[in-house]
Amino acid sequence: MLFSDARNHPVMTTDTASTIGKLSALIVDPTIGQVLALRLRKTTGPGDTLHWEDLTAFGPDAVTIPTAAAVTSARDRAAELDDKAAELIGKRVLTDTGNDLGAVADIDFDPASGTIISLVTPGGPVYGDRLRGCGSYAVIVTDT
Amino acid sequence: MTLLVRASDLVKRPVVTLAGEDVAQVKDVVFDGSSGEVSGFTLNGRGVFAGPLRVALPIAAVTAIGGDAVMITDEAVLVERGDVAHATDLAERDVLGDRVLTDTGVDLGTVVDVILQVGAATDVVGYEVKTAPALHHAGRRVLIPLPDTLSVSGEALIVPARAVEFVAQDLAGFGAAIEAFRTQLRGDGDAVQ
Repeated sequence: MLFSDARNHPVMTTDTASTIGKLSALIVDPTIGQVLALRLRKTTGPGDTLHWEDLTAFGPDAVTIPTAAAVTSARDRAAELDDKAAELIGKRVLTDTGNDLGAVADIDFDPASGTIISLVTPGGPVYGDRLRGCGSYAVIVTDT
Repeated sequence: MTLLVRASDLVKRPVVTLAGEDVAQVKDVVFDGSSGEVSGFTLNGRGVFAGPLRVALPIAAVTAIGGDAVMITDEAVLVERGDVAHATDLAERDVLGDRVLTDTGVDLGTVVDVILQVGAATDVVGYEVKTAPALHHAGRRVLIPLPDTLSVSGEALIVPARAVEFVAQDLAGFGAAIEAFRTQLRGDGDAVQ
Protein backbone atom coordinates (compact mmCIF):
# COMPACT_ATOMS: atom_id res chain seq x y z
CA MET A 1 0.00 0.00 0.00
CA LEU A 2 1.26 3.47 -0.87
CA PHE A 3 1.46 5.96 1.98
CA SER A 4 -0.22 8.56 -0.26
CA ASP A 5 -3.29 6.26 -0.44
CA ALA A 6 -3.28 5.54 3.30
CA ARG A 7 -2.86 9.12 4.49
CA ASN A 8 -6.02 10.44 6.16
CA HIS A 9 -7.27 6.90 6.75
CA PRO A 10 -9.64 7.08 9.74
CA VAL A 11 -8.49 5.22 12.85
CA MET A 12 -11.50 3.44 14.35
CA THR A 13 -12.04 1.52 17.56
CA THR A 14 -13.68 -1.89 17.19
CA ASP A 15 -15.31 -1.74 20.65
CA THR A 16 -17.23 1.52 20.16
CA ALA A 17 -16.95 1.93 16.36
CA SER A 18 -15.88 5.54 16.71
CA THR A 19 -13.23 7.48 14.82
CA ILE A 20 -10.51 8.67 17.14
CA GLY A 21 -8.11 10.24 14.65
CA LYS A 22 -6.68 10.27 11.15
CA LEU A 23 -3.37 8.92 9.88
CA SER A 24 -0.90 11.74 9.25
CA ALA A 25 2.51 10.06 9.07
CA LEU A 26 4.41 6.79 9.31
CA ILE A 27 7.17 6.52 11.89
CA VAL A 28 9.71 4.32 10.15
CA ASP A 29 12.87 2.78 11.55
CA PRO A 30 15.18 3.28 8.55
CA THR A 31 17.80 0.86 9.85
CA ILE A 32 15.43 -2.14 9.67
CA GLY A 33 12.96 -0.90 7.02
CA GLN A 34 9.94 -1.26 9.27
CA VAL A 35 6.99 0.97 10.19
CA LEU A 36 7.13 1.18 14.00
CA ALA A 37 4.13 3.41 14.58
CA LEU A 38 1.56 5.69 13.00
CA ARG A 39 1.31 9.35 13.89
CA LEU A 40 -2.27 10.57 14.03
CA ARG A 41 -3.88 13.97 13.84
CA LYS A 42 -7.26 15.20 15.04
CA THR A 43 -7.10 12.71 17.88
CA THR A 44 -9.83 12.81 20.50
CA GLY A 45 -7.54 11.82 23.39
CA PRO A 46 -4.21 13.15 24.66
CA GLY A 47 -1.94 10.75 22.70
CA ASP A 48 -1.12 10.99 18.98
CA THR A 49 0.84 7.79 18.33
CA LEU A 50 -0.39 4.33 17.47
CA HIS A 51 2.33 1.69 17.76
CA TRP A 52 2.24 -1.05 15.13
CA GLU A 53 1.90 -3.84 17.70
CA ASP A 54 -1.21 -2.15 19.15
CA LEU A 55 -3.29 -2.01 15.98
CA THR A 56 -5.87 -4.64 15.04
CA ALA A 57 -5.66 -4.23 11.26
CA PHE A 58 -4.46 -1.87 8.58
CA GLY A 59 -7.32 -2.17 6.11
CA PRO A 60 -7.83 -0.68 2.66
CA ASP A 61 -10.22 1.97 4.05
CA ALA A 62 -9.47 2.31 7.74
CA VAL A 63 -7.06 1.40 10.49
CA THR A 64 -8.75 -0.47 13.32
CA ILE A 65 -7.71 -0.62 16.97
CA PRO A 66 -9.28 -2.53 19.87
CA THR A 67 -9.94 0.45 22.15
CA ALA A 68 -9.16 4.17 22.28
CA ALA A 69 -6.45 3.35 24.86
CA ALA A 70 -4.23 1.99 22.07
CA VAL A 71 -3.41 5.56 21.05
CA THR A 72 -0.65 6.79 23.36
CA SER A 73 2.36 9.03 23.25
CA ALA A 74 5.41 7.70 21.38
CA ARG A 75 7.59 5.36 23.39
CA ASP A 76 10.96 3.59 23.05
CA ARG A 77 12.45 3.54 19.54
CA ALA A 78 9.39 5.26 18.03
CA ALA A 79 9.91 8.20 20.40
CA GLU A 80 13.53 8.51 19.28
CA LEU A 81 12.52 8.48 15.62
CA ASP A 82 9.51 10.75 15.96
CA ASP A 83 11.08 13.95 14.67
CA LYS A 84 11.83 15.77 11.45
CA ALA A 85 15.21 14.07 10.94
CA ALA A 86 13.53 10.67 10.59
CA GLU A 87 10.90 11.83 8.08
CA LEU A 88 11.41 10.00 4.79
CA ILE A 89 8.95 11.71 2.45
CA GLY A 90 10.55 14.55 0.46
CA LYS A 91 14.08 13.70 1.62
CA ARG A 92 16.91 13.04 -0.85
CA VAL A 93 18.02 9.44 -1.27
CA LEU A 94 21.80 9.01 -1.23
CA THR A 95 23.63 5.75 -1.87
CA ASP A 96 26.36 4.74 0.57
CA THR A 97 28.73 5.37 -2.35
CA GLY A 98 27.70 9.04 -2.46
CA ASN A 99 25.29 9.27 -5.38
CA ASP A 100 21.97 11.13 -5.26
CA LEU A 101 18.93 9.14 -6.45
CA GLY A 102 16.38 11.96 -6.06
CA ALA A 103 13.79 12.67 -3.39
CA VAL A 104 11.38 10.20 -1.77
CA ALA A 105 7.98 10.83 -3.39
CA ASP A 106 6.07 8.05 -1.63
CA ILE A 107 6.51 4.96 0.53
CA ASP A 108 5.20 1.54 -0.47
CA PHE A 109 4.66 -0.67 2.59
CA ASP A 110 3.04 -3.99 3.44
CA PRO A 111 -0.12 -3.22 5.46
CA ALA A 112 -0.05 -6.68 7.04
CA SER A 113 3.46 -6.50 8.52
CA GLY A 114 4.52 -2.85 8.33
CA THR A 115 7.58 -3.81 6.28
CA ILE A 116 8.80 -1.14 3.86
CA ILE A 117 8.59 -2.61 0.36
CA SER A 118 10.13 0.34 -1.45
CA LEU A 119 10.74 4.05 -1.52
CA VAL A 120 9.22 5.65 -4.60
CA THR A 121 11.77 7.96 -6.26
CA PRO A 122 11.91 9.69 -9.67
CA GLY A 123 14.36 7.01 -10.85
CA GLY A 124 12.10 4.11 -9.82
CA PRO A 125 11.58 2.07 -6.68
CA VAL A 126 14.39 1.71 -4.14
CA TYR A 127 13.67 -1.54 -2.31
CA GLY A 128 13.31 -1.50 1.45
CA ASP A 129 16.10 -3.98 2.10
CA ARG A 130 18.55 -1.33 0.85
CA LEU A 131 17.70 1.11 3.67
CA ARG A 132 20.61 1.93 5.97
CA GLY A 133 19.69 5.10 7.82
CA CYS A 134 17.96 8.43 7.68
CA GLY A 135 19.20 11.75 9.00
CA SER A 136 18.43 15.41 8.57
CA TYR A 137 20.26 15.51 5.20
CA ALA A 138 19.43 12.26 3.44
CA VAL A 139 18.07 8.73 3.46
CA ILE A 140 21.07 6.43 3.02
CA VAL A 141 20.63 3.25 0.97
CA THR A 142 23.15 0.63 -0.12
CA ASP A 143 24.42 0.82 -3.69
CA THR A 144 23.33 -1.92 -6.08
CA MET B 1 32.04 1.51 -9.15
CA THR B 2 34.85 3.94 -9.86
CA LEU B 3 34.57 7.42 -11.21
CA LEU B 4 37.01 10.08 -12.40
CA VAL B 5 36.64 13.55 -10.93
CA ARG B 6 38.61 16.77 -10.92
CA ALA B 7 39.84 17.61 -7.41
CA SER B 8 38.37 21.09 -7.80
CA ASP B 9 34.92 19.53 -8.32
CA LEU B 10 35.10 17.97 -4.84
CA VAL B 11 35.23 21.39 -3.21
CA LYS B 12 31.91 22.22 -1.50
CA ARG B 13 30.73 18.60 -1.82
CA PRO B 14 28.85 17.60 1.37
CA VAL B 15 30.39 15.11 3.81
CA VAL B 16 27.55 12.79 4.86
CA THR B 17 27.44 10.05 7.51
CA LEU B 18 25.81 6.67 6.89
CA ALA B 19 23.12 7.87 9.34
CA GLY B 20 22.22 10.57 6.81
CA GLU B 21 23.61 13.67 8.52
CA ASP B 22 25.65 16.24 6.58
CA VAL B 23 28.39 17.06 9.08
CA ALA B 24 30.63 19.22 6.87
CA GLN B 25 31.57 20.08 3.31
CA VAL B 26 34.91 19.83 1.54
CA LYS B 27 36.98 23.02 1.80
CA ASP B 28 40.10 21.78 0.07
CA VAL B 29 41.79 18.60 -1.08
CA VAL B 30 45.09 18.02 0.76
CA PHE B 31 47.90 16.30 -1.14
CA ASP B 32 50.82 14.57 0.50
CA GLY B 33 53.83 16.59 -0.64
CA SER B 34 56.16 13.59 -0.93
CA SER B 35 54.00 10.97 -2.63
CA GLY B 36 51.54 13.07 -4.59
CA GLU B 37 48.70 11.05 -3.03
CA VAL B 38 45.59 12.59 -1.48
CA SER B 39 46.00 12.64 2.30
CA GLY B 40 42.57 14.02 3.08
CA PHE B 41 40.24 16.98 3.05
CA THR B 42 40.02 20.18 5.05
CA LEU B 43 36.45 21.03 5.92
CA ASN B 44 34.00 23.87 6.17
CA GLY B 45 30.83 23.75 8.19
CA ARG B 46 27.48 23.43 6.46
CA GLY B 47 25.18 26.41 6.13
CA VAL B 48 25.50 29.98 4.96
CA PHE B 49 27.44 31.36 7.93
CA ALA B 50 29.60 28.32 8.69
CA GLY B 51 33.36 28.83 8.48
CA PRO B 52 36.36 26.47 8.39
CA LEU B 53 36.24 23.59 10.89
CA ARG B 54 39.03 22.66 13.31
CA VAL B 55 38.65 19.05 12.27
CA ALA B 56 39.62 17.46 8.95
CA LEU B 57 38.86 14.22 7.13
CA PRO B 58 41.76 11.77 6.55
CA ILE B 59 41.41 9.85 3.28
CA ALA B 60 41.51 6.49 5.10
CA ALA B 61 38.27 7.38 6.89
CA VAL B 62 36.35 8.03 3.67
CA THR B 63 34.06 5.09 2.89
CA ALA B 64 33.22 6.36 -0.61
CA ILE B 65 33.31 9.43 -2.81
CA GLY B 66 30.36 9.67 -5.15
CA GLY B 67 28.99 12.14 -7.62
CA ASP B 68 27.01 13.97 -4.95
CA ALA B 69 28.63 13.37 -1.57
CA VAL B 70 31.68 12.20 0.34
CA MET B 71 30.56 9.38 2.64
CA ILE B 72 31.90 8.59 6.13
CA THR B 73 30.65 6.17 8.80
CA ASP B 74 30.11 8.82 11.48
CA GLU B 75 31.45 12.08 12.82
CA ALA B 76 33.93 10.28 15.10
CA VAL B 77 36.28 9.61 12.14
CA LEU B 78 37.14 13.31 11.82
CA VAL B 79 40.57 14.20 13.24
CA GLU B 80 42.46 17.33 14.23
CA ARG B 81 43.22 19.43 11.18
CA GLY B 82 46.97 19.22 11.82
CA ASP B 83 46.90 15.41 11.55
CA VAL B 84 45.84 15.59 7.91
CA ALA B 85 47.75 18.70 6.80
CA HIS B 86 51.11 18.14 8.54
CA ALA B 87 52.73 21.49 9.19
CA THR B 88 56.17 20.05 8.46
CA ASP B 89 55.11 18.20 5.35
CA LEU B 90 54.70 21.13 2.97
CA ALA B 91 51.32 21.78 4.51
CA GLU B 92 48.50 21.84 1.99
CA ARG B 93 51.15 22.06 -0.64
CA ASP B 94 49.54 23.17 -3.80
CA VAL B 95 50.44 21.15 -6.87
CA LEU B 96 48.46 23.61 -8.94
CA GLY B 97 50.79 25.77 -11.00
CA ASP B 98 53.64 23.23 -10.79
CA ARG B 99 55.57 22.45 -13.94
CA VAL B 100 55.24 18.97 -15.46
CA LEU B 101 58.42 17.58 -17.07
CA THR B 102 58.94 14.24 -18.77
CA ASP B 103 61.85 12.07 -17.67
CA THR B 104 63.44 12.99 -21.00
CA GLY B 105 63.38 16.66 -20.00
CA VAL B 106 60.49 17.97 -22.07
CA ASP B 107 58.29 20.64 -20.50
CA LEU B 108 54.64 19.62 -20.91
CA GLY B 109 53.03 22.59 -19.17
CA THR B 110 51.62 23.56 -15.78
CA VAL B 111 49.14 21.71 -13.58
CA VAL B 112 45.69 23.35 -13.50
CA ASP B 113 43.80 20.51 -11.81
CA VAL B 114 44.29 17.02 -10.37
CA ILE B 115 42.27 14.05 -11.61
CA LEU B 116 41.22 11.56 -8.95
CA GLN B 117 39.80 8.11 -9.39
CA VAL B 118 37.24 7.75 -6.62
CA GLY B 119 34.85 5.10 -5.40
CA ALA B 120 35.87 2.62 -2.75
CA ALA B 121 39.50 3.86 -2.89
CA THR B 122 40.94 7.21 -3.91
CA ASP B 123 43.94 7.50 -6.20
CA VAL B 124 45.58 10.37 -8.07
CA VAL B 125 45.52 9.15 -11.66
CA GLY B 126 46.31 12.24 -13.71
CA TYR B 127 46.83 15.93 -14.02
CA GLU B 128 44.97 18.42 -16.08
CA VAL B 129 47.72 20.46 -17.67
CA LYS B 130 47.76 23.71 -19.56
CA THR B 131 50.09 22.70 -22.32
CA ALA B 132 53.51 24.09 -23.17
CA PRO B 133 54.62 24.41 -26.83
CA ALA B 134 56.06 20.85 -26.80
CA LEU B 135 52.61 19.35 -27.23
CA HIS B 136 50.81 19.98 -30.47
CA HIS B 137 47.85 21.64 -28.72
CA ALA B 138 49.85 24.44 -27.08
CA GLY B 139 47.89 26.54 -24.59
CA ARG B 140 45.05 24.00 -24.33
CA ARG B 141 43.99 21.97 -21.34
CA VAL B 142 44.73 18.27 -21.65
CA LEU B 143 44.68 15.31 -19.27
CA ILE B 144 47.98 13.52 -18.65
CA PRO B 145 47.91 10.06 -17.04
CA LEU B 146 50.22 9.32 -14.13
CA PRO B 147 52.05 6.11 -13.30
CA ASP B 148 51.22 4.28 -10.05
CA THR B 149 54.12 6.02 -8.36
CA LEU B 150 55.48 9.43 -9.13
CA SER B 151 58.39 11.74 -8.34
CA VAL B 152 57.27 15.05 -6.95
CA SER B 153 59.19 17.96 -5.50
CA GLY B 154 58.33 21.54 -4.72
CA GLU B 155 59.56 22.54 -8.18
CA ALA B 156 58.28 20.04 -10.69
CA LEU B 157 56.59 16.73 -11.36
CA ILE B 158 58.41 14.17 -13.46
CA VAL B 159 56.30 11.82 -15.60
CA PRO B 160 57.48 9.10 -18.02
CA ALA B 161 57.91 10.45 -21.56
CA ARG B 162 55.45 7.86 -22.80
CA ALA B 163 52.62 9.61 -20.91
CA VAL B 164 52.41 12.03 -23.84
CA GLU B 165 51.06 9.22 -26.06
CA PHE B 166 48.13 8.71 -23.68
CA VAL B 167 46.99 12.30 -23.34
CA ALA B 168 43.20 12.69 -23.38
CA GLN B 169 41.05 15.72 -24.07
CA ASP B 170 38.26 14.91 -21.65
CA LEU B 171 37.38 12.65 -18.71
CA ALA B 172 35.21 10.37 -20.85
CA GLY B 173 38.15 8.78 -22.64
CA PHE B 174 40.65 9.25 -19.84
CA GLY B 175 39.81 6.12 -17.82
CA ALA B 176 40.82 3.85 -20.69
CA ALA B 177 43.96 5.93 -21.36
CA ILE B 178 45.14 5.53 -17.74
CA GLU B 179 44.55 1.79 -17.84
CA ALA B 180 46.45 1.40 -21.13
CA PHE B 181 49.31 3.62 -19.93
CA ARG B 182 49.76 1.81 -16.62
CA THR B 183 49.49 -1.61 -18.22
CA GLN B 184 52.24 -0.69 -20.65
CA LEU B 185 54.50 0.64 -17.85
CA ARG B 186 54.02 -2.55 -15.84
CA GLY B 187 54.71 -4.62 -18.97
CA ASP B 188 58.06 -2.84 -19.34
CA GLY B 189 58.94 -3.64 -15.73
CA ASP B 190 58.33 -7.35 -16.30
CA ALA B 191 60.44 -7.35 -19.46
CA VAL B 192 63.46 -5.94 -17.58
CA GLN B 193 63.25 -8.72 -15.00
